[in-house]
Amino acid sequence: MSRILGLVLAASLLATPLRGQDSLMARLRRQADSLLSTWREAQLLADVADSLELVRATAGSDTIAVGGLRIIVNPSPLPWREAAERAWSSIDSLYGSAGEDLPRYPYIFRAVDPDSGVRRAVLHVGVELPWDLDVRATTTVLLSTVVAPDFDAALGDWLGAALRPTPRPQEDRTAVFVQLVTVPSEAVRACFLGDISRCKDVLQVGDSTGLLERWYVTPAEREALVTEGFSDYFARGATAPSLQSCRRHRDDACTALLRSLPPRTLPRPLDHAARILLVRTALRAGGRDAYRRLVARPNAAIGERLASAAGMDIDSLVVRWRNDVIASRPRPLTLPWWASFAALGWTAFFGFCALRSSRWRL
Amino acid sequence: MIARFRAVLNSQWKWSRLIVVLGTVAAFAIPLVSLQGAARADRGALQAQELLRAVQSWGTLYPLLATALGLLMAIAAWAPDHRGRHIHALTLPLERWRYVLLRFGAGGVLLAAPIAAVLIGSSLAVLTATLPPGLQGYPIALAVRFAFAVFVAYAVFFAVSAGTARTAGIILGVIAAVILVQVVAGMANIDLNLFGAAQTVLLQGPGPLAVFTGRWMLVDV
Repeated sequence: MSRILGLVLAASLLATPLRGQDSLMARLRRQADSLLSTWREAQLLADVADSLELVRATAGSDTIAVGGLRIIVNPSPLPWREAAERAWSSIDSLYGSAGEDLPRYPYIFRAVDPDSGVRRAVLHVGVELPWDLDVRATTTVLLSTVVAPDFDAALGDWLGAALRPTPRPQEDRTAVFVQLVTVPSEAVRACFLGDISRCKDVLQVGDSTGLLERWYVTPAEREALVTEGFSDYFARGATAPSLQSCRRHRDDACTALLRSLPPRTLPRPLDHAARILLVRTALRAGGRDAYRRLVARPNAAIGERLASAAGMDIDSLVVRWRNDVIASRPRPLTLPWWASFAALGWTAFFGFCALRSSRWRL
Repeated sequence: MIARFRAVLNSQWKWSRLIVVLGTVAAFAIPLVSLQGAARADRGALQAQELLRAVQSWGTLYPLLATALGLLMAIAAWAPDHRGRHIHALTLPLERWRYVLLRFGAGGVLLAAPIAAVLIGSSLAVLTATLPPGLQGYPIALAVRFAFAVFVAYAVFFAVSAGTARTAGIILGVIAAVILVQVVAGMANIDLNLFGAAQTVLLQGPGPLAVFTGRWMLVDV
């Protein structure tokens, strides 16, 4: 009997913490539920506040519709319609038929006094800009705020920037040309010289295994990357000895250090401008539905998506991209013809001044 | 007239030969030094950026050399006349404007030596260097730019040097007045940017000193 009593007592003693644990779990669950409900209420209130703010920001505003652009603006001297017409032609040429989806994302602008001393109501919706901008500047604002329709995260990650129309396409191509020539990378240099597989490597549109060796081909590049770009990062803790080895030209140490970097932190040899140009080339080649095809399969490989958008295989697309870049070599550093004449003119002018000096007027 | 020009040229050469020789040596050396190392066999294609950076740094010396040559040649052209109070020039059976033109022309001819030195030095530097693919040498463009800069600088300082002390005083007075007005406007919080305007007029577009601005690159993309 006493054994049974003892067992019951022991069981009850053992169950006490479990019961306590159970009550703790329940309390935590209740707290979590309470937090969730509070968060939902806050979300609801934020939505209401946003909605009210939207109503306040757009009160007394006009809506300008040009193509798929919907611009909600307050009355101001800004040349919205003309700017929207100019911007729309660029937007339409980039997004093609997908531009029809843009009315889903209306743009709210508020023209304000350029004098920063003037007090104004604070709004949390839309973009403020001074009312003294000209057509060109207003167009640039529109182009730089446009939201690419159905732009997915995978495309954004690969691109490294937003895909927007550019007001200066030639300058963008020239910038990529300068990169191809000056970036300290053998892979980029090989791409410049016509090796399309290297171009695919540096643009990351082909096989992406062994990215480190594909991007930074020589031990010297890897060493330079570690010692110039990541020396602070690797200088402390367990990686410090490897950094010292790398500085002593040990490629295995440099490679190991670079392999230890977190995913997607290995610097790209070419910056986002080159990739954006590749996307633009694909969209231009693929016609009005190219953008729709580009965003149709977010889970597909980037190379496949670009090829599908362009309507050609990826190699041909990269060849076309490279040809575009090579054709955009910056103008040589010669003086413009008028500058030569101006210099000669000023030389003659000052020479004439010397002839007419008061010293000789006796 | 040719004999007179030869005489003026000869006298001016005697007064300024040190300037011409040193300027020519410097003009020949700068392009070669700016591309030093570019001809090394171990220089791979990776150093394009470094090479451009070095060329750009050295490029600042060209407008400085052009200005210095113009200034010194102009001073040298007039210094003996100023010392002799222009008595020799006044005794010559020659109109004053012709005399000034001969002096101006003689200085211009002597300045051809450093200009040619830039052209030869640049061409040699580019020919002997191993440039990374995509980069190009611009020896002729650089020499042409240097020539214009030298002539403009020479003409400006020649005109100033040919003037009287009163003219120099007026020029300095105008500059001082501009500075004074700008300082007073700044103190009075008046939105007046005379320096900016002067910079635009002098250095941009067809301004007299525009040829000195920009990038003086012997090698570029």
